[in-house]
Amino acid sequence: MDLVRDVLDKKLIDREECCMGRVSGLVMHVGENTQPRVTHLLIGGPTLWMRIHPALGRLSNRLGKMWGPKRDEAVKIPWSHVETVGKDVKLDVKGKETGALDWEIWVAQHIIEHIPGGGSEEEE
Amino acid sequence: MKKILQITLGIITSVGGFLEVGSVTTSVQAGAQFGYQLLWPILFGTICLIFLIEMSGRLAAVSKHTIVDALRERFGFPFFFVVLVGMTLVAFMVLVAELGGVGFALQILTGIGFPWWALPVSFFVWLLMWKGTFSLIENGASLLGLVTISFVVAAIKLSPDWSGIASGLLPTMPQSDKARYGFLTVSILGATVSPYLMYFYSSGAIEDEWDRSYIPMNRVIAGFGMTFGGVLSMAVLVAAALAFQPRGIQVDTFPQAALLMTTALPKWGFYLFALAMLFACFGAALEISLAIAYFFSQGFGWNWSEDLEPSKNSRFAFVYTLIILLAAIPLMLGIDPIKVTMISMALTSATLPFAIVPFLFLMNDPIYLGKYRNGWVSNSVVSIVILISFVLALISIPLEIVGG
Repeated sequence: MDLVRDVLDKKLIDREECCMGRVSGLVMHVGENTQPRVTHLLIGGPTLWMRIHPALGRLSNRLGKMWGPKRDEAVKIPWSHVETVGKDVKLDVKGKETGALDWEIWVAQHIIEHIPGGGSEEEE
Repeated sequence: MKKILQITLGIITSVGGFLEVGSVTTSVQAGAQFGYQLLWPILFGTICLIFLIEMSGRLAAVSKHTIVDALRERFGFPFFFVVLVGMTLVAFMVLVAELGGVGFALQILTGIGFPWWALPVSFFVWLLMWKGTFSLIENGASLLGLVTISFVVAAIKLSPDWSGIASGLLPTMPQSDKARYGFLTVSILGATVSPYLMYFYSSGAIEDEWDRSYIPMNRVIAGFGMTFGGVLSMAVLVAAALAFQPRGIQVDTFPQAALLMTTALPKWGFYLFALAMLFACFGAALEISLAIAYFFSQGFGWNWSEDLEPSKNSRFAFVYTLIILLAAIPLMLGIDPIKVTMISMALTSATLPFAIVPFLFLMNDPIYLGKYRNGWVSNSVVSIVILISFVLALISIPLEIVGG
């Protein structure tokens, strides 16, 4: 598997077929006597902007703590939850429980649901 | 039978959705100043657009990816971000122009100045997106846009010189006003080859769940729909050439542009022009707002579908809500939509390579398209038109700015 071509920037789909964002980075474990292996997928914010410039990554991190869902850490998904890698990356997780959809929920609850006809994010 | 119905509807919506403020304004100005001489950029642009639309549909049907999905995955986030910024800026200007076009149409009909219409029109566009479905937007707005066929009736009623029209389909250089000629050429190409149409079309193919069996249908819709649309643009130019050029009128305002219909159809022309602009610009405003929201949502991997309740794809709904609200502001402040239109069309042309060249790479990538990837004809046609448009934009935009 070519990690950059086949995994990085691919869309992440949870077990309920909900889009969780895209893979913005990969965490690798490089041991002394073992082969390097991917341990986690990273989603969103600082990791993404860091790919343009580290300063943008720091700025995104600072803004993320001040505004919105106020997450301290990047969203990390253990590689063991990856079910398939194809057109999209399918995960055996519930998106809402990982933190990847915090912004989606925050925008829904703080803005969209206050506009008539916006519906409710929690309704099935 | 279902496929035939879909093809018919696809063609009709392509025709109805083709004309918008950009193509009308650029064609009217070109016809008024240069007669039939600027028909060729419409022809070249339409041929290029047929190929691009066909490619957009084919990419979606074969790979199940929209253009934006593939762009982000194949070229990575930094490159995607550059395209996102450029596309959003240009599309935002075009949206301002379209909303202004609706406002002007209402000004013609009611006498109330267009800045007063900015907020109600924007609200109505937003409301349709908030409550409506993709089919309603795609089919409803475009079907109403069929009133633009009245431009063809006007052009024929003015008895055009068909041999003059035929010679206008080949590029020629004017005796004077070469900078203006270049700028109008660039603007016409920008108005015809609008990248937002590609993003909208490929997203629509995914919304409608196209698969490989739709490839022949896609080809027919792209071919016939865009050809008929191009004919509409040409009709506007021909009618403008016959109504304005003999009297030496240069069209700088929308009410002036209405004269092209009243010359041919004295009784109904005025209202037909206003209604044609109203529906055409309204449909385009819907499509552009959706295209911007699609671009963000697909690029960042958010949930997106015009058919979902807003809270179920909140970031998608937030993007179009914000963009429509922001687009109303310059219009309320009285910015001239015709100037915005001309600048945004020329900028579209200048930025075409950034949207189209990566798209051509995708269309030649066996990972996405396998045996359905582009042949040399589509690659060559699109590359040549984009190159002409880019070079002309580089030369004529500075000249137009310097020359005022």
